[in-house]
Amino acid sequence: MSTMSGLSGDTNGTLPRHYLKPCLLLLLAEGPSHGYELLEHVRRMGIKGAEPGGLYRYLRAMEKEEMVSSWWEPSQAGPARRTYVLTEHGRKGLNESVQSLRDVREILVTLLDRFDTLPTRAGASRS
Amino acid sequence: MYHAGRPHVTSSAPKSEQLRVLYWRSEILQVVYWLHGEGLGDLVDIDLIRTYLGVDPPGVDVHQNLSIYLDLLVADGSLVGDGDWYALSARSLADGEAQLATAFTDLVRPVRSGCDEACWCRASTAEAEACARSLPETDPQPGKAIV
Repeated sequence: MSTMSGLSGDTNGTLPRHYLKPCLLLLLAEGPSHGYELLEHVRRMGIKGAEPGGLYRYLRAMEKEEMVSSWWEPSQAGPARRTYVLTEHGRKGLNESVQSLRDVREILVTLLDRFDTLPTRAGASRS
Repeated sequence: MYHAGRPHVTSSAPKSEQLRVLYWRSEILQVVYWLHGEGLGDLVDIDLIRTYLGVDPPGVDVHQNLSIYLDLLVADGSLVGDGDWYALSARSLADGEAQLATAFTDLVRPVRSGCDEACWCRASTAEAEACARSLPETDPQPGKAIV
């Protein structure tokens, strides 16, 4: 059964909270997209267990928050598909999310730098 | 550990039964059309609909009523039922674009607009198109609405 928690299907369990949000906002900042296309991209961005049901709900929620806008786009070759675009509000949300991630990166870099200065014990491996 | 949160479609469902029927009719059809359009399958059952709409836990009123709403969609010819499974009817597939243009008008919005948030062009596609026509041609896509 697909659930929103199924979207947390990253393989190592270390992705930040709400990582899907900046992923989707970034993808839509790069250009309009469709559901399945977004699903494949977020999987490539580390959320390997992302499921369409969870993605659908997340997109709907972001649309209600007016971060995303969408419409049905008729196709000559197949059925109509929902096309998603980023709104101005979504762009601001992306900027805020990226800033938060930058802050986290700074913290992590500090930790990693301190780790790298630890004296290496004989036989111990840091990799 | 990553947690995506759990957005619920149900939180915006209307309170009156008559509007609720229309609301869930639209929500269910959107899911079925979405899956069909994305090539993710043409058959749905109540559990799949529940998952996509974020209706849980099982046993709540909405979940019980989903089967009623699905049956109503079968009765009005929008869906065809086969046991626990449902699919878009031939009529729905044939009339899909027209239905998308009428049944989901609340979700059809101008994509990009040079107007402010209060502009009336945001109320409907027809109004957005009229607004676009009224704006100077220097703006390449003012108030464009896409159905």
